Amino acid sequence: MLYLLEDTINGILMGSIYGLTALGLTLIFGVLKVINFAHGSLLMVGMYVAYWAVALTGLHPYLALILVVPVMYLFGYYLQDIVIKPIFKAEREVREPITVIIVTTGLWYILDNVTLLLFGPHYRTIQANPLRGKMLELGGMLISVPKLWGFVTALITAASIYWFLQRTRLGRAIRATSLDRDAASLMGIKQYKVYNIAFGIGTATAGIAGVTLVPFYNVFPSVGVLFDIKGFIIVVLGGLGSMGGALLGGMIVGVIESVGPQFMAATWTEAIVYGLFLLFLFVKPSGLFGVRYDW
Amino acid sequence: MKMLEVRDLVKDFGGLRAVDNLTLALDEGEILGLIGPNGAGKSTAFNCIAGVYQPTTGEIYFKGEKINNERPWNLCKSGLARTFQIVKPFASKTVLYNVVVGSFATTEKKPEAERKALDILHYLHLEDKKDVLARNLTIADRKRLEIARALATEPKLLLLDEVMAGLRPTEVDEMVRIIKDLRDKGVTLFIIEHIMRAIMAVSDRVVVIHFGQKIAEGTPQTVAADERVIKAYLGEEYGVS
Amino acid sequence: MKQERLQVLSLLPVVVIAFGLPLVLRSPTYLHIIILLYFYAYLTTSWNLVGGFAGVLPLGHAAFVGIGAYTSTVLSLQYGISPWLGMIIGGVLATIVGIIIGLPTFKMRGAYFALATIAFAEGFRVIVENIDYLGPFNLNGPRGLEISPLNVGLTNLMFNSKEPYYYIILVMLGGVLALTYLISRSKLGYYLQAGGEEPEAAMSLGVNVARCKLIAMAMSSFLTALAGTFYAQFTLYIHPKSVISLDLSFEIAFIALIGGRGSIAGPILGALLLRPVSDLSRIYFGSTLPGLHLVIFGIVLILVMIYQPRGLQEPLTRAYHKLLERLAVRPAVGV
Repeated sequence: MLYLLEDTINGILMGSIYGLTALGLTLIFGVLKVINFAHGSLLMVGMYVAYWAVALTGLHPYLALILVVPVMYLFGYYLQDIVIKPIFKAEREVREPITVIIVTTGLWYILDNVTLLLFGPHYRTIQANPLRGKMLELGGMLISVPKLWGFVTALITAASIYWFLQRTRLGRAIRATSLDRDAASLMGIKQYKVYNIAFGIGTATAGIAGVTLVPFYNVFPSVGVLFDIKGFIIVVLGGLGSMGGALLGGMIVGVIESVGPQFMAATWTEAIVYGLFLLFLFVKPSGLFGVRYDW
Repeated sequence: MKMLEVRDLVKDFGGLRAVDNLTLALDEGEILGLIGPNGAGKSTAFNCIAGVYQPTTGEIYFKGEKINNERPWNLCKSGLARTFQIVKPFASKTVLYNVVVGSFATTEKKPEAERKALDILHYLHLEDKKDVLARNLTIADRKRLEIARALATEPKLLLLDEVMAGLRPTEVDEMVRIIKDLRDKGVTLFIIEHIMRAIMAVSDRVVVIHFGQKIAEGTPQTVAADERVIKAYLGEEYGVS
Repeated sequence: MKQERLQVLSLLPVVVIAFGLPLVLRSPTYLHIIILLYFYAYLTTSWNLVGGFAGVLPLGHAAFVGIGAYTSTVLSLQYGISPWLGMIIGGVLATIVGIIIGLPTFKMRGAYFALATIAFAEGFRVIVENIDYLGPFNLNGPRGLEISPLNVGLTNLMFNSKEPYYYIILVMLGGVLALTYLISRSKLGYYLQAGGEEPEAAMSLGVNVARCKLIAMAMSSFLTALAGTFYAQFTLYIHPKSVISLDLSFEIAFIALIGGRGSIAGPILGALLLRPVSDLSRIYFGSTLPGLHLVIFGIVLILVMIYQPRGLQEPLTRAYHKLLERLAVRPAVGV
């Protein structure tokens, strides 16, 4: 019984990190109305930046945030500005810019394979970091410390973004654009600037998620793929565009993955996650908190 | 049996009641006009009839059959066609292609569909543009293409949503002529329009909507003289020509 | 001479070359490469039925390759069933799966469908990679299945030389191209393209958009699975990473997109242009710069999407038609 609780807690912690990775995805979708297929690769880039920051300076992994957040923000900002914006402009008339999906998929491939070319396929870890392998003892249960840090980071990040969107002028502009981009631009809000910023924030969030993973997760070029797909699943479970949904969806997946192996082989746990995804797609595609589209 | 009957139609969007207990009917061969200020609920009513929206409450009957939850493609097969306020041509395809898609509603074979499409294009004077890409047409031609496409499905009832918006006066007159001609061919017409002289000239009867509710109904003359209509929509200086 | 006649005539040399090639080109290595080229062209053309004509984005088609490959292989290894029959059974299974995926997702935004295909393909791969037995069927997990080239002959889809494989895939490719051509001129083709471009307008014109997409999906998944069986019988070894990989799904989609989805020539053109890039970069840079061809694909894809969204086939097809026009107008030339 205690093991079950321990697994559940660890699952929630890991799940919050999953939720953090999905946060950026759902934000970008909420504003730009596209699913950024390159999100996992951006996470991977964030992990590499964090890794090198720590490997070269020997500092605490979370200090890498100082570097990762601005770098990833700018990376995302300009990625949207230079590569994706032309497509948006070309597809103004089109109801659903599928081409953007195609382009982000291309980006996924480029990022993953350039990283492979530059750094090779080796799995890297930061061995001598203060968080690695640390466990917290709580009432007879062992709680993973790096995951706990991740949990706290996820909550702080989500809260900060929420505060930003609700309380600042720029945040309101972003929300306006996400509700009705034409109306917002008629009110003087520069639509593409908002897109750039939203993409930047989403990418920065992926970077933050990368930092939380680096203390205990392996770093390698295709690490993003796994998180990308999980990110999609979580974002559909939680509801596209809902931040709370992303965190909750992440926790659900985290708990399934953590508790599942107690009752069945690990493979089947993964299959259950995929199965749950397909189930939601069939039954409740708007997810737990998503917006219902009148189709 | 009426061609179209709408009884106590209500459409809510969350807290907003876009259509409020609308009741109206069309006889076969009639031309009914639907007018009202912007946002009055005209297009919403059309969309409910055409199967795009599901009515919140109320009933819609087409040729005597209840069509409340029917999907647009089935309605088209039963003989109900519509145009869109903001035209939606298949922009990357030719004019002929666009109309052929409509013709396929009545036949399975491409040569026949093409032949029928060419007939319609000829009827609407668009045949010399049959190989032009839809995205390269003028707005007037696009509106005609929209009608041609809908006509190709050989409808009994045609819903026209502001087909004259954006047209020059001569083009408006041409459109009025086409609409009257359609009625002579046996199509029942339900028209939303803002251009007063056109809709008053072409309609047998007019229904006026304001805030989703019907506020007047009758011949164009009756409606134009109705005080509520004048206050809500027409303005004091208006007189039916 | 009429333009259509010219068009048919212009295809004749292509057909002659295609059928005559193995008589001239004797090297098994080159034949192998060309067979794979046709294989990819077949896959991308089948993909095009739903990714091009229907206007959606399937990113998990390798799953159907895998279904085809595993079905026929398991049935022939364990039960001695002829691979041809296994091919058909695999195709039917793939069709069912394709319809299951499409049924809920075709009514929603395109992104949902794309996600569903990826999720399904990856889920399928993960399952096959980690289990040895699916009920009574031996899938052998990540080690894959090997086919020993014992029973040679047409009934067993097993040959000692490359030539028979060459002709089989060539015929399959021709078939799928002919099918694409027929569909593009049929009611289904018109409806698919209309529904992909302006679904609301199409629906008001009598098009059941979701159902048309399902039909296209069913056809596409069936045909793709057939190729899976061919691949298994050709390479004699299948494992999850080779037949159900995301890389394969993406490569198929990328090639079709770069070549030009929605057109008939696009997918083949894409395959002709990109497969050599892939092969060459693997041969020459495989050890030093792994994955280089994928980077190239990605960059080309983005550039094409920005500058030539209808694919590289557009300028070429336009030039081809202009040439035909010029030749057709002058009655002094030809018949």
